[in-house]
Parts: sequence; C-alpha cells; structure tokens
Amino acid sequence: MKLINWLHHFEERLIGTLLIAMTLLVFVEVILRFGFNTGIEWAQEVTLYLSAWMVLLGASWGIREGAHIGVDAFVKLLPSRQRRIITLIAIVLCLIYCALFIQGSWVYLSKMAKIGIEMDDVPLTKWKAMSVLMIGFVLLAIRFAQLGWAVITGKQDGFVLADEGRDSMHLVDDESPGEK
Amino acid sequence: MTTLTLFVLLLLCMLMGMPIAIALGFASMTTILLFSNDSLASISLKLFEATSEHYTLLAIPFFILSSAFLSTGGVARRLINFAMDSVGHIRGGLAMASVMACMLFAAVSGSSPATVAAIGSIVIAGMVKAGYPKSLAAGVIANAGTLGILIPPSIVMLVYSAATEVSASRMFMAGFIPGTLMGLILMVAIYIVARVKKLPAQPFPGIRCWFHSMFRAIGGLMLIVIVLGSIYGGIASPTEAASVAAVYAFFIAIFGYRDIGPLKGVPWRKENEKLSTATIRNLYLLPKSMIESIWHKEVAHVVKDAAKVSIMLLFIIANAMLFAHVLTSERIPHSIAETIVSLGLPAWGFLLVMNILLLIAGNFMEPSAILLIMAPILFPIATHLGIDPIHLGIIMVVNMEIGMLTPPVGLNLFVTAGITGNSIGWVIRACLPWLALLLGFLGLITYIPQISLFLPQLLDGM
Amino acid sequence: APIELKFSHVVAENTPKGQMAIKFRDLVNERLAGKVKVEVFPNAQLFGDNKVLEAMLLGDVQMAAPSLSKFERYTSKLQIFDLPFLFKDMAAVDRFQQGPDGQQLLNSLKSKGLIGLGYLHNGLKQLSADKMLKVPEDARGLKFRIMSSDVLQAQFEQVGAIPIKKPFSEVFTLLQTRAIDGQENTWSNIYSKKFYEVQPYITETNHGLLDYLVVTSTEFWTGLPDDVRTELKKSLDEAIAYGNKIAAQKARSDRQAIIDSGRSKVIELTAAERQQWVEAMKPVWKKFSKEIGQDLINSAVQSNQ
Ligand code: NA
Ligand code: NA
Repeated sequence: MKLINWLHHFEERLIGTLLIAMTLLVFVEVILRFGFNTGIEWAQEVTLYLSAWMVLLGASWGIREGAHIGVDAFVKLLPSRQRRIITLIAIVLCLIYCALFIQGSWVYLSKMAKIGIEMDDVPLTKWKAMSVLMIGFVLLAIRFAQLGWAVITGKQDGFVLADEGRDSMHLVDDESPGEK
Repeated sequence: MTTLTLFVLLLLCMLMGMPIAIALGFASMTTILLFSNDSLASISLKLFEATSEHYTLLAIPFFILSSAFLSTGGVARRLINFAMDSVGHIRGGLAMASVMACMLFAAVSGSSPATVAAIGSIVIAGMVKAGYPKSLAAGVIANAGTLGILIPPSIVMLVYSAATEVSASRMFMAGFIPGTLMGLILMVAIYIVARVKKLPAQPFPGIRCWFHSMFRAIGGLMLIVIVLGSIYGGIASPTEAASVAAVYAFFIAIFGYRDIGPLKGVPWRKENEKLSTATIRNLYLLPKSMIESIWHKEVAHVVKDAAKVSIMLLFIIANAMLFAHVLTSERIPHSIAETIVSLGLPAWGFLLVMNILLLIAGNFMEPSAILLIMAPILFPIATHLGIDPIHLGIIMVVNMEIGMLTPPVGLNLFVTAGITGNSIGWVIRACLPWLALLLGFLGLITYIPQISLFLPQLLDGM
Repeated sequence: APIELKFSHVVAENTPKGQMAIKFRDLVNERLAGKVKVEVFPNAQLFGDNKVLEAMLLGDVQMAAPSLSKFERYTSKLQIFDLPFLFKDMAAVDRFQQGPDGQQLLNSLKSKGLIGLGYLHNGLKQLSADKMLKVPEDARGLKFRIMSSDVLQAQFEQVGAIPIKKPFSEVFTLLQTRAIDGQENTWSNIYSKKFYEVQPYITETNHGLLDYLVVTSTEFWTGLPDDVRTELKKSLDEAIAYGNKIAAQKARSDRQAIIDSGRSKVIELTAAERQQWVEAMKPVWKKFSKEIGQDLINSAVQSNQ
C-alpha cells in the first residue's frame, strides 16, 4: 500500500509536469515564431506525444482521484449488497478491458520494436515513445484491482465518480473577497 | 448482430456505473474480438492515434488550465462581480451576459467543448452566486457553448470543407448569422424564463461602483483581448491561443492579483514605499516568484485540478474514437446513409431523414468523424436535389452542435459535469429544455436556407 | 470467404487518389469476384497517414497510398523524390519511375516489411504566399508550412525561409491570419484544401514533386495465391494509369479554377527567374546525396533528357 501511495504521488507530479510542459511548448513556439521569426522543428511532434503520455498515464491516476465520469443513477437505486456485486462485475469487465489492451499493445509495440523506426523529428525509436500505451494499461489494471479489493472488503460500494470534484464551484461558497 | 452487440454492451456497461470512457472502449474491444478480423493490436494503435494525432483537441486542456488559474486565483471572482454590477439589475441579465460571453469566446475557439471549458466554470459559479438555480446556469452554458463550432472559426466547418468542395471562407461567413441568431434565441428564452421564474435581480450599484469593479476586473477582461488579438492579429492559431491564455492566466493570478501562490499577501506597493523602490522590488520578485511557483502547493493544486478534468475528457474522446472506428470499419454509418440516399425522397423529406440520421450519429460519434463519413455520401444527393452545399454544411454543423449535448458521447455534457462536479444525469436534465430550443433552431435552419445563405450571397454580389 | 482487402487513404473520393482507389475496387470486385473483396476507406476514416503503415504491418489494412515523404523513417532512399528541381516535368518523373532504378526503389521498403506496388501522381508543387515571390530573395525571412520531411526543411532553409510544421487543421487559420506566410503544394491540393482562398499569390515554380506510393505489406502480398496476385497487380496498374490521367487533368483544371476565382494571383516565372530558384535550392541535393546515393540522383537527372 505504501508503494501505491508513493506511486500515486509520483504520478500526480509527473502528470502535472506533462500538462505544463505541453502548454509551455506550444506557447514558446508562438513566441519564437512571432517574436523571433523562428520555429522549433520538433515541437509539434513532442507536444502530441506529451499529450498522449498525459492522457494514458492519467487515466489510472484519475481512477483514484475520482476524475472519470460514469452513470451511477441506476446502481444507486440498488441496496448496498447488490450494488457491490454489480460494481465487482463491472470491475472485472474493466480488468478485461485492460488485459485486452495490454495484449494488443504488446503485439503492437513488439512489431514497432522489430522494425525499429524512429520518431519523425526526434532521434528516439518510436516504440519507446509509445511505451506509455503498455505502462498506462498496466497501471490502470493495478488501480482496478485495488478498487476491486476495496469493494470486496466493503470499504467501497461503487466507482468513485466525479462527485467529489466540486473544486471549481468553491467560488460560490467562499466569502472572502480576496482583496483588502 | 455486430451492431447489436456493440450497442447492447455499451448500454449494459454504462448502467453498471462503469466510467463512460471504459464502457465505450470495452464495447469496441469486445465487438472487434468477437466479430471482426481486425487485431487487438490495431485497436491499441488506434487508441494511440486518438491520443496523439489530434492537435486541435489540445485547446481543451489549455483552456481548462487557464480557467483553473482564473477561478482559483480570484480573477474569476472579480469578473463575476463586474458582470453582476453591469447586468445584475436586469432579470436574467447575468445569464444573458454569459451567453454573450460564450458567443464572444466562440469567435476565438473552434471547438464547442473548449468554449464551455474556457468560461463555463467561471460563469456558472457566477450565476449560482447571484442566486440562479445551478441547473439553469449549467444548462444555459452547455448549450451556448455549442456555438463554438457554429460561429467562425470552426474546426468542424474546416473538416466539412475539406471533405466536400465547399469554400472554407464561405462556410465561415455562413455560420455568422445562424450563430448570432442562436445566441439571440437563447437570450430571449432566458428573458422569458427569468420573468416567469422571477429570477433574482440586484439593484444597480451606481456608476462609481461599476467603474471600480470594472477596473478591478481588467486583468481578467484582458484575457479575452489577448486571445482575440493573438488570433486575429496573426500571431497564433486558435489552439495556440489557448496555450497563450493558460500562460497569461497563470501570470495574472500569481503575479498580477497575487491571491494564490508564492506572492500571496505581498503587495505591489507597500505603505509609504517609494515608487522606485517598489518597481525594483517587483522586478526582483517576478523571476523569484516564477521559480518558486514550480513547487508551490497552491499552484500544483490548480494544475492538478485542470489535469483531472482534461484527462477525463481526453480519455473519453479517445475511447469514443475507438467506438467510431469500430462503426466505421464495419461500415455501419455508411450503409445507413446509403440506404437513405437510395430512398429517392423529395428535398424536404431528404432533409428530415438526414437530420434524424445525423442526430442519431451525433449520439455516438464525435463531429469530425461523422462529417468525414456522412458528408461525402449525403453531399452528392443533396446537390442533386438542389440543396445549396453551404446550406447543407450549416445544417450539418447545427446537428453536430446538438450531438455535443446528447449522451453517451456528448462532450459538452462531460465538460459541464467535470466543471460543476455534478453527475452526468443531472447535467443531461439541466440541458434538456435548452436542447429543445436547439432542435427548434435546427428546424429553422433546415427549412429557411436564407439564414445560412444571406451573408455569403451578399458578399458574392459585392 | 473472399480475401478482404482494405484500402485506406486520407483524401476525398473526388481526388485522383480517391478515384484511383475506386477504380481499383471496381476492377478487382469484378474480375476476382468471390476471391477478393476490396473496400475503400477515404478521408482518413480508418487511419491517418501517420499510422496507416503501422496498421498495415499489423495486418489490419492491406493497401494504402501515403505521400512519398511519409516513408522517410522507413527508408532514406525515397527522399530522392522530395529533392527540389530534380525533374523538369511529369514526363521526366514517369521516365524515372518506370525505369530500372525507379522500379528498384519499390523494393527499398522490404526490410521493414512493406512492398511498393506503384507510383501515383499528384503533381508538381508550387509556392503560395502572402507576398509576391519572384526570386529566391523574396522568400527570405518568410514562414512556410511544411510536411514533416528533412529534405523540405533543408529546401526552405536554403533560401533563408523558416519552415514551420503544423497540422492541416491549424494551417488554414494560420495562413488566413498571416501568422504563417506561405506553403508549398500541388495545384490540386491548393485548390481542394482551399489554400488559394487565403493566399493572395501563387508562384508557378514546379519546384518539387508530390507523389504517392501505393504500398502493401510483404506478408499479405506474398501470402496471396499466384494467380490472384498477378490479377491484383494488373488491376492496380490499370487503376494507377487511370488515376494519373485524372491527376494530370486536375492539375490543369484546378490551376484554371484558381485563376478564374480571382482570389489568388498566379505568377509565372521567366526562365532567368526560375534559374535563380534552381541555383538557390540545388545545394540541398548535396546534403542528402550520401543518404540517397549519388548514382540514384544522377539517374533521376538523366531522365530529364
Ligand atoms: Na468558433
Ligand atoms: Na452526442
């Protein structure tokens, strides 16, 4: 469990860094093009890969954060026991989803490693840059297994969906005008 | 059989409470595994393509990040105060002003979810604060946000132009009147609702107070100027402008207003401080605070919130693309569209059936995918029936707007759920009455071609 | 069950490539009825150009026709077609492509598991910009959008211009607002992608070639029964010939349509002006002669006679 908490913290920092990196890269590109009449030849490709890394790594992190949206209206009608059973079945399906992707990514990445071609503008073999496909789904599977365990032991009876994400609405509650 | 499996699986998974993204992906994966010769590997490839080959989608995380800085940093609060002082005394004024803000933002953003992401969190909170029902606020914004693709520039229109032989500039031109009209319709509806429901109105605070709140909101208002200016001033594309907005929002929140981050509580000018001393102190503080904010807790928290919503959305979009990929490779939309084309309907009937088809497609697929498949099939028969290609394009775009609000794949619904923290079902209910309005608007657009054609034809005549 | 053959491309059906794919489908579905079933997926409905070759290696797409620049990371040899001012006209291109060296190039992808089946034309590239380009000096300091290609990058750097990489969805607005000054493309692309609506000047330089390579995977191709393979190749050759004819017509008619629209002024170069462009850009050849092979470049130059 300690390891998973550490992983979570590390993921969070990494994902934030990826988001900032891609924002800055596009921003710097604009500044360079307009202000200095020059471009960065690798910027477009790297930005896109950064976004892929953010999304695919972030998917698993988002499970723990309750970031993902789902329809829980139906399961909420059920008594707790049934609800846990349904949730467990759903988690098993999620694990199958991960397994299928892990299998598919493995075949895909092995093929890319075999032909060994590089990215367009960065001297790095493509399969390495795409390895997040595999990593992301392994992490996602770990999260679902963890969630499944929480449901079995009765700590949780559903997916934690975005309910706790009221972050942006804090504007409404807080009274402090912010300036003196 | 394939189609049935795909849709039944999707429905079941969603009912079980699975995250929508995974329900979409799971239904696609399983259908491929059971019925198709395609490999799991190529579906993995498709998912990677969906997350790494769509540059314009990046506007979404960038605008979300910029909004996160604005709303956490108190900039949004000042904007809301200013808006309330300006239009709070009119019943429904704040909601109308929000629609106006959406229209303005639509003129810089080429995407609907990006429009909601950019201003949704701010204006919804503002309306709730002013005493509006939250569902009304959310419904209005999710709907007004769809104008992002109708008011130029519009990614979806570019896709339509590229898939047919229609002029992109003429399409842009044609979207202007319908977009404005839809905005006006929304405002009129809000006015009526405001009268009926007796929505709150505050007394006008007086011109001095108004100037004061405008002055304090200037840092936030500048964001719109900067984004508009960087696009129309030939500095950046809409996607790039979103990144400029994010960087600006960071700057104004951390260094300008100093409500969060390393400079929190540090005044621009201390009491009795000489102007020169204050300038030098701030010049020193600027790089220092920039570096400090890298590991500052509050800054990290804003980034984390933005990442959460962005990832949720982009992961749904990626899986929705998988779903569309399965539909495409099984040629399901193709065969339905081809059937319709072969029915030999008159123009009005064809338009009706086409709208129904596009609305259904809009439930499950993302706009670009629909246009790329449907436009080439429907276009020839439409022109044959004497329907103007520009008019056809606008009809399609309005359909795509509606698709943004229909489950299971309705990006505006997800953005709204993400920024309000409410459930998807709640958001759907909140959107419904306004969606009906949009449907009526689709009828207008479909059967009164002049709304779409007036401006391009006027400019042709000049 | 018949052998499934998915042909995936990224352009509209009314383009030369789209027409060629449909022709191929119709020919095969008629001649090899019951044995092979061809399905065409236009408009990047299935995969974009960046991923289609990978999908082909995985066995989920059997045929595609990406532009020759897209093969840069698969083989450096095909970069030859990006070299500026290598061919004087399309006839020279044909002579080289159909000659022994051109045909040999079709096999240059074999080590990566792909086979080239034939060249499909789009046409010669022109320069469009928001300023009038007469001599290379006019391009100095201007920003040009390019596809991802080392040769094209070098080509613009050679005349002091700034190559910028941006996806199509961004390019139109960037050109419209003049955040980017220009781009290079064939007449048919300038017309169909609407660049002429936002670029006031087009200089008829014919400076480079934009062609496609019809490819398939070695695994699929060698796995076919001999008679089927022969018939497929024959149908493909016919379809390509048909597509090339349309490409030639379209290059002329789209050029005319652009002139007629009045949105864009087409500038013709005098022989002396064009010679300046040739001299300015030609040093690019030397930069890539090692990767491509000087012999191959010489052979291409030969085809101009
Ligand atoms: Na727009
Ligand atoms: Na939808």
